[in-house]
Parts: sequence; structure tokens; C-alpha cells
Amino acid sequence: MKKGSVFNPFKAIRFLFQKPKTLCYPFEPKEPAKRYRGFHLNDWDACTGCGNCADICPNEAIEMVEIAEIKPEPGRKNERPKLDYGRCCFCGLCVDICPPGCLSLSGDYFHIHFDTDTFTFIPKNEKSDGEHFLAPPDYSILKASLSHRKKDFPGFSTDLDYALFEPERVPMPQVEPEKRKLSFIEQVLGYSEEEAIKEAERCLECQLCEEACPAHLKISDYVRAIRMRDPEESLRKIFEDNPIPSICGRICMKHCEDACSLAIRGEALSIRWLKRFAADSVRDYKKVLEQKPAPPSGKKLAVVGAGPSGLSVAYFSALKGHHVTVFDSLPGGGGMIRVGPPLYRLPIEAIDKDVNYIASLGVEFRFNTTIGKDILFEDLLNRFDAVFLGIGTTVSRSTRVKNAEKCILALDFLERNKIGERVKPGRKIVVIGGGNVAMDVAREAIRLQYMNYPGEEIQTSAVSLEDWDIMPASREEIEEAKEEGVRFHPAWGPKEVVLDENGDIKGLLCMKVKRVFDEQGRFSPSFYEDEEMFLEADMIIEAIGQAPDFSFIPKELFENLKFTPRRKVQVDEFGMTSIPGVFAGGDIVNINLDAVTAIADARAASEGIDRRISPKAPLPTSL
Amino acid sequence: MRELELYFGPQHMGMVGNFSITLKVEGDRVVEAVSNPGYLHRGFEKLMEYRTWIQNFPIVCRMNVVEPDSMEMIYAMGVEKLAKLEVPERAHYIRSIYLELARVGSHLFGLWAYSNMLGFDTVAQWAMYHRDLILDLFEELTGGRVYHIYIWPGGVRRDFPKGFKDKIVTTLHSIGGCVPDYNNTFFENRMFYKRTEGIGKISQKEAMELGAVGQVLRATGMKHDIRKTEPYAAYDKVPWDVPTRENGDACSRVLVIRDEMIESVHMIFKLLDNMPEGPVYNRVPNPLKWTIPKGDAWVRIESSRGELGLYLVSDGGDKPYRAHFRTPSYPHGLIILEKLLENASIADVGNIMISLYVVAPEIDR
Amino acid sequence: MINRLKQELESTFREISVAVPGENGITVVASPVQILTILRFLKDRGYDHLAMISCVDWIKEDSLELVYLVSAYLTGDNEYTGREKITVTLKTRIPRKEPEFPTAIPVFENAEPYEREIHELFGIHFTGHPRLIPLFLEREYEIPPFRKDFDTREYVKEVFDKIPFVENKE
Repeated sequence: MKKGSVFNPFKAIRFLFQKPKTLCYPFEPKEPAKRYRGFHLNDWDACTGCGNCADICPNEAIEMVEIAEIKPEPGRKNERPKLDYGRCCFCGLCVDICPPGCLSLSGDYFHIHFDTDTFTFIPKNEKSDGEHFLAPPDYSILKASLSHRKKDFPGFSTDLDYALFEPERVPMPQVEPEKRKLSFIEQVLGYSEEEAIKEAERCLECQLCEEACPAHLKISDYVRAIRMRDPEESLRKIFEDNPIPSICGRICMKHCEDACSLAIRGEALSIRWLKRFAADSVRDYKKVLEQKPAPPSGKKLAVVGAGPSGLSVAYFSALKGHHVTVFDSLPGGGGMIRVGPPLYRLPIEAIDKDVNYIASLGVEFRFNTTIGKDILFEDLLNRFDAVFLGIGTTVSRSTRVKNAEKCILALDFLERNKIGERVKPGRKIVVIGGGNVAMDVAREAIRLQYMNYPGEEIQTSAVSLEDWDIMPASREEIEEAKEEGVRFHPAWGPKEVVLDENGDIKGLLCMKVKRVFDEQGRFSPSFYEDEEMFLEADMIIEAIGQAPDFSFIPKELFENLKFTPRRKVQVDEFGMTSIPGVFAGGDIVNINLDAVTAIADARAASEGIDRRISPKAPLPTSL
Repeated sequence: MRELELYFGPQHMGMVGNFSITLKVEGDRVVEAVSNPGYLHRGFEKLMEYRTWIQNFPIVCRMNVVEPDSMEMIYAMGVEKLAKLEVPERAHYIRSIYLELARVGSHLFGLWAYSNMLGFDTVAQWAMYHRDLILDLFEELTGGRVYHIYIWPGGVRRDFPKGFKDKIVTTLHSIGGCVPDYNNTFFENRMFYKRTEGIGKISQKEAMELGAVGQVLRATGMKHDIRKTEPYAAYDKVPWDVPTRENGDACSRVLVIRDEMIESVHMIFKLLDNMPEGPVYNRVPNPLKWTIPKGDAWVRIESSRGELGLYLVSDGGDKPYRAHFRTPSYPHGLIILEKLLENASIADVGNIMISLYVVAPEIDR
Repeated sequence: MINRLKQELESTFREISVAVPGENGITVVASPVQILTILRFLKDRGYDHLAMISCVDWIKEDSLELVYLVSAYLTGDNEYTGREKITVTLKTRIPRKEPEFPTAIPVFENAEPYEREIHELFGIHFTGHPRLIPLFLEREYEIPPFRKDFDTREYVKEVFDKIPFVENKE
């Protein structure tokens, strides 16, 4: 660097005549950039109250407070984040981890007030708080107070590519449709250990799922145990609330996954498959669980039906020390689960694994015993201290159209295929119904057709009253049925079964559905009688619903049994029916009609049974 | 003559940052100097042991006010080395551009401090204005002007917004267009040479003994730069040169800073031309529970003042077990400053201190 | 170059363990009496830049670990020989109760502030250090603050919660 002349610095005098670069804030406001990190905004409609933002804040500046105006639902808490701006460092980590993406930072950075309490507040946004977020017409920055300009300056918001949680789940290996439609092998292959650990790592432990689960399983605890490579601890946590993990791990309706935070903008955590992983990785439940029942109380409990509710009541009551006897008319445990879901969804070995463990706790199972025929119901009431009815819905309903007696009923079809002799299918099968049972029937039918008529032309169709948008079967079942080749005809109702001259089925005459539910939401279908369709078939299966069979209850007692307006057995909060000493649970009580709600009913009932019959229990006050 | 004890203390108009030196003076000459750090000790290294790996990011950048980006970079590199994470290619380029912009901003800050100390207020205001233009660029890219929280393990936090490349080019051209003015007013000014030549002279051997790094070393003639000896990010992908000077006094140090700024601007242009497309972030596992296997790592980068290093120890948990930062102002401010201040005149105390580019928050952490 | 250094170290000193975890560093674990000799050995081989002295508190194993990080400057003629990449990490363990260690100032003159800091924050006394006075902190602490059994929340409660709030007098 050489030294310049002495006069060089004077060349800078020309800057004296240029406009100064100083910004006269606040008279010349400076617009913040698009990604500026300022004060928080929260969209209350999308916020689920999960509390992940409070978990990740490095300065513990966020606190979840209860808001009285919001009604809590299962899966959505009524809490909202409250921020302390004395601690917040505006890092934006809470925005990056927010699963619904409702929290964002605005471009506002200016707040002056005498009262220090205004620096901790619950952020909203312009949808719920127009007063603070939309500037009045005479707004000027000299009157600045909280958050006037937030609407115009979006600020730092969330982006799914850069979010801190993983929106995609580890895919579950399954058998692909071309192979699986040819046999009854189990469709889902199960996670390996590495896949299960990777999937369990996704969980943010916000515990929204635990409230949505009807049985309130400790989901975040058992997922964490899987992540720590301890499936035995995971199994112990599951068994605190759910004695049939092998069954539930395959067929549960997964209310928890619908409530999972990750499902809002990604794919939910595979809670059901992780439960199955925990159940499958432990070979011998008894050695791992080491559960010791309480000392025998000397009281006896009879359970009618070895379905999910019956098995759960047996499990909980046996742990409390009562002697339980379970009666079932089938040759093994499981109830409707044993004969309903097909082998490719729920193999018999999985059911037996759970049932055998419950039997090893001291529960006595009497299979092939029908109450009402082999043992009378009054005998049960006399010989046992309490009776639990978990009879389920065992009788298929019929459409009762002309010649309907030629059709096969769904439950008979499924039962024979699973534990009896396989039905020889027709070449063209029509299944009436749109629920999960109808999907099971259709997929079994198409497998039987492929197995019996390889290489020939076969067809299975499903006809349902409901159109696509209100079809009650789950999305997965419908998609998988379509992949296997089942043809769907939604919004058609059965009119008449057409017979040929020999009296065999020729086909089904259908009419177009106008409407399924009436204005009050009750089931009352109406049709366009003249719009008809004829479906060729040589076998028709009716899968339109099931009903319970109360024929074993003698008439005098049956008159005392109260029902709810929706034709379910009425029970109090502890599961007792209007007949003293008789408890009920499962499909005859709840409207969800799945296994996990049955377990929840059984839990309440076992509590009520214990209070009623335990020698140390206080006298029952509500009857 | 009697000795007097003076406090060139934390509240002083010539002091940059909260740092104090106790001077024993005799007349106009300093006999002995003792530096007193500790006014900004916030205990970061202990705080970091109580937060998980991702929660530490907003804290780490606050260690150094002038150039927070190098702290983020070194922590991200340390975590990536321990956890064996891969960073995508485009993220390396973005990180290099970002660090070079931070280097220019930090050198402009140093120029402000130095010219203020010498009395050249005009140049100081220009330097601050140009640094403000660079802070506007950062605001556009990351959302914050000073504390960016942009680099984290796995890549960077967001991609370039639309039109950002052109904005960088325009801003740098407007800064570069002022270089002749800077030259005229400051770097070629005879008063500047009169005040800084021969002040605070240190020989190369002495610098190596005392552990000097950065400009202090490069002003004595050694081409020691971590970006060349241990290349990280995208520094080995573009050709560039390490500027040095010979004399080792305050004048050479400041001229080295000037040359580095110009070199950085050229490097940014080259990096912008060569930048590939692609993703910028490899997702890390669940941030609330991510555990890193046991081990330790030592990483270092070249920040604007010298060699910045981090020794990170993990015991297999979800929080760091020990994080120890080796900052370049540590030897400069605590050993070299005391040596150089012997036999200096009082008017030159600030001169020497800021030419060594001592930044107080870095010493105390 | 790394392997040559590894062989030299292993042949000269007994009972040390040398590992090469990556391409840029060597880790040497030695006993406390050998540290100064190894440091001199490294300095003679051209590793003349002491980057940092650090300390880790392994409370479960009841020992403190001192870590010396040494690397190399460029040689005088500004040639990149490849030695500048290498960092030698030298570790040793000393017991936690009343720890003492000889100072490294005779070998590396710039070790002085690092040792002062470790003395203040971890409590290790360095014998032979000319100026072992507090560097950052201004109070006396029973347990040195960066040790793992120093509870920061308790300290905050004791010292700062006793200060009463300033009331708003309107």
C-alpha cells in the first residue's frame, strides 16, 4: 500500500452534499423481510394443544394454559400456548416442530407498555382476534402498541421440508396384491427390529393419542420402550390396560392414529404395528410379564362369551383374585374375532397366544358350551356371584327381499371358511353390504374363487346402499379390496333375488338409491324404483349387519332388561345392567363396535364386579 | 517518576465490548498491563449441558456478538462429526457464502472500532453503513439481523429465497464500489501510517511462542489459514489466496484485514457461480430425543479473527456432556496484549488492543 | 505422516495407548507423569501450537480428565507439508479429590490462561504456575462451578432469590 497524497482524504467532502443514509425511524418505517422472526401468531382452529412447542423451547418460555371456551375432544386438548416474552429468544424452533403448522412468527417486533404483564400473552391471529391484528384506519406508528401490523407482514412460518419431525412413516412390508389374492397367507409381514426402532423414534410424546384411545392405553410409554430396545418393558406397559395385544395389534380400529399429531400434515405413527411388534417379539408372555394374581377371594364370576370384552373381564378379575369361568359355544377363544376376520388378517395362532396366557393366570375356559342349551342362564345366576354378558352380535341380519332365503349369510360364510369346511364358491359372487364385514366377505370370496378356479373367469362384486362418501368400511379395506379385484357398485339397493327354472340363483335385481338417511339422520333408505340393474350371480352373500342373540335369557328376566333408544343394553358407569348382578359390555353395549372399546367396557365392568362381590368391598350404594 | 495505576476499564469510550485492562503507567508510558476479563461470563458451557443437542442452537450463537455465524458453524460441525451425519452439497456452498458474508460484516465492524479509536470518524460511519447493508441481506435469508440461527446439523435451515442471488451481487457491488473512497480516506492516508507503523510490533517467532492465530500471525508473514490447511465446507472448490504482510505491526494487521475483505468478496462471486442445485437439509432424528453415541470430537474453523475450535464430548445421552470452545481472542487478549503493551504510550493502548481484534464476549463465553 | 508419528510415540514411551480415529487426528492416552515429556517430544517434532487445554469431569468414574490439544504451524517457508492438518489429543486422568498437576508453561508459554481458567472452574491446582488467580469469577465457591455436582438451580435460589423485588410505587 503506498501512501497517497496529502490532499486525497478531501475527496470525501462530496459526501457532505449527498442525502444521509440514516433512517428516521419511526417516521420512515422499515418493512421487515418476509422471513422475519418477530412476535408469535397462533391459529386457534388448527391448534391441537399438543404442547410440543413447550417441550422444545430452550428457555421454557411457553406454558400451556387451559382455555375455558374451547371444548376438549378426544385427540384435541383445550390448551393453548402462552408466551413469556421476557424469556423468548425468537429462535423459531417452536415453529419448526409444530405438527399442524399453526404457530408462526410475524414481522412485528415493536411493543411498548407501562404494564409488564402485557409481555406475557396468549398469541392468536387475525381469525380469532380482529381487534389486535387489523390496524384501524387512522393507524400510525406513533401510537404503536401490540401487534397492529401482523396481518400485513407474514414473517417466519413453517415449511414441511424443513420441519423437525419426520412426516413419512417407515413403510410396513406387505404381500403385494397379485400374490396375496391367491391364498390366505397373512398379508402384513410385520416390522423388523430396526424398522420398529426407527418408527418409534418419530413419536413426539405429545400424548394426544392416549386420550383418543377408548381404553386409554399408555401409548407414549410403550412406544418409548420400543425405542430404547426393550420390547419386554413395552409389553408390560401394554398389559396394564390391554390383555390381547396380538389381536389388537392386527385388527384394532386405531382411533389413536387418527388423533396423532403427525397425521395432520404427514402420516401417523404406526401405533398398531408397533403394538404387534411388541407382542410378536416376546415368545413367552408368562416369563416376561411375571404377573401374580392377588390372593384368592373365594368369589366366582361367570363370563358368557370369550370375545374381547369377555377375555378382558376375565383378565382383570383374575388379577384381582376372583375365580373366573368363561363359557363360549365355539371350540376356542376369541368370540366373534375367531370367526369374523379372515385368516389373512388375523391368524388363529395369534388369538390362541393371547387366550392361552389368560388361561395360565387361572381362568377356566369351557368351550363348546352354549348357555341356554348346555347350561341354563338361571343356573349361572344361582351358582356364581356375578355374571358378565359379552355375547356380541352373533346373528346375521337379512335383507328379507323376495327369495332371500337362498342367499348365504355373512357370518356363516366367514365361520365356515375360518374354522370349518371351506365353502365352494360360485363363479360370480355378489356381496350385499358396505361395511367392514362385507369387505372381509368379498375378499375371502375372491380368494376362494382364485383358488378353486385358477385361470378361469371369475367375478366378485360388492353392492351397497351407501355411496363412496358414506361407505362405512375403512379406507384401507376398500383400497385393498379394489387391488385384489373386487368390483364395487355403490348406491344400489337389493330389490329381488332372481331364480332360474331349477330354483338356483340367477342374479340380483337392484334399484338405485335416492337417499340413505332421512332429515333426522335415521336410517331410512329410499329408492328410485324404476331405475334398475341386473347383476348376474350364482351365489349371493348378505353382509348388512349383525344382531345379538338374547334367546338364552328367560322371559321374566328379559323384561327387566332395559335398552337404550339405539337398541343397546343400558348399563351404568360400572357396567351393571338393570338386572342386579348381571354386567354387560362389548358390542351389545357400545356403538363403536370394535375390540378396544370392548376392552374399555370390560375394565369398567371388572371394577363394578369387584366392588359388588369382593369380601372387603363396601355395600353397593347404586342399584 | 511515580507509578500510577489506571483502569482502562469496562466503561470507556474507546473500549469495544466489556473488557478492562489495569495499567501501571509512568508518565506517558505503560510499565505493566494486566487484563481483566470476566464481565461477560455467562457460563455458556455449563448451560449447554442442560439442553438437548438441538435446543443448544439458539444459545450457541449468542456467545459472540460480532460474528455469531462461526459459532453456529463450529457447533454444527462438531455434532455432525460425533453423530456421523452427511450434509448435502448445496448446503456446503450456502454455508461458505454465509460465512464469507459474516466475515465481511465482522471486518467492517472491526474497521468501525479501529477508525473510531484512531479518530477517523468518517470512515467509521461508512463501515457501519455497509455492515447494515449486509445485515439486511441476512434478514432476508434467515429472519434475524444479528442472531441468525441458520446453520444446524444436517444442513441449513431454509433455502435461498427467490431473487436472493441478485441481491447479494448488487449489495457487494455497491460496497466494492466504495473501496476507492476507503483507500483515499483511510488506507492510503498519511496520518494512518504515522499512527500505526511500528506500533505493537511482534515478530513471527514470538507470535508462534505466544500462540497467536489469525491476522496477528498472517501479518508477520506466515500463510497460516485453516481454510487452506484443513478445508471444510466448500473452500477447496474455488481458487483463492491467503493475503499476508511482512512487518507484524498494527499497520500490517489492518492492511491484512482490508485484503481479506476484498478476497472474501471475490470468493463469494465465484461460489455463487458454481453453486449446484439440490436439497439443503438432511433431516436429523427426533429432536426431543436424539442421542449421539459416546465419543469426543475436535473441530476447528477459521473465523474472522483466527482459529476457532470446539472440543465436544458426548456420553451417549441426549445432551452434550462437555462443550469447550477455543476462541481466537483468548490468547490475543490475555497473553499477547499484556506483552505488547509494555513500553507503549497511553494513547496507543486502544490502538494496539483493537488492532489485535480482541472481542470481549469471546474470551469470557 | 500420521502413522510415522504413531510409531515414534509408541516406540519411545511405555504404557501409553495411541489411536487414530480419523485422518486428521491422533488420540494419545497417557499417565499423568508422562504428559510433560510427551509435550516436549511433540514440540521438538514440529507440533508447536498448543490450541487448548480442556478438562472434563467424569463424576461417575471419580476422576477429572485433562485434555491437551496440540497442532502445528506452517514452517517458515510457507510450505503446506500436511502436518498442519494433524491435531494430537493428549488425555490423562487425575483423581477428583484435591487434584494437582504440574504446569505446562515451561514447554508452551501460552498455557498460562488456560490453566488459570481450569483452576478456577474445576479446582485443579497447577504447581509452578506464576499467577494462579481468578480469571472470570468474583466470588468464592465451595464446589468449583463447572463440576457436575454443582447445582446451578440451588445456587440461583440461594444467591438471587434472596434479593427482594422492586415494588412499583405509583
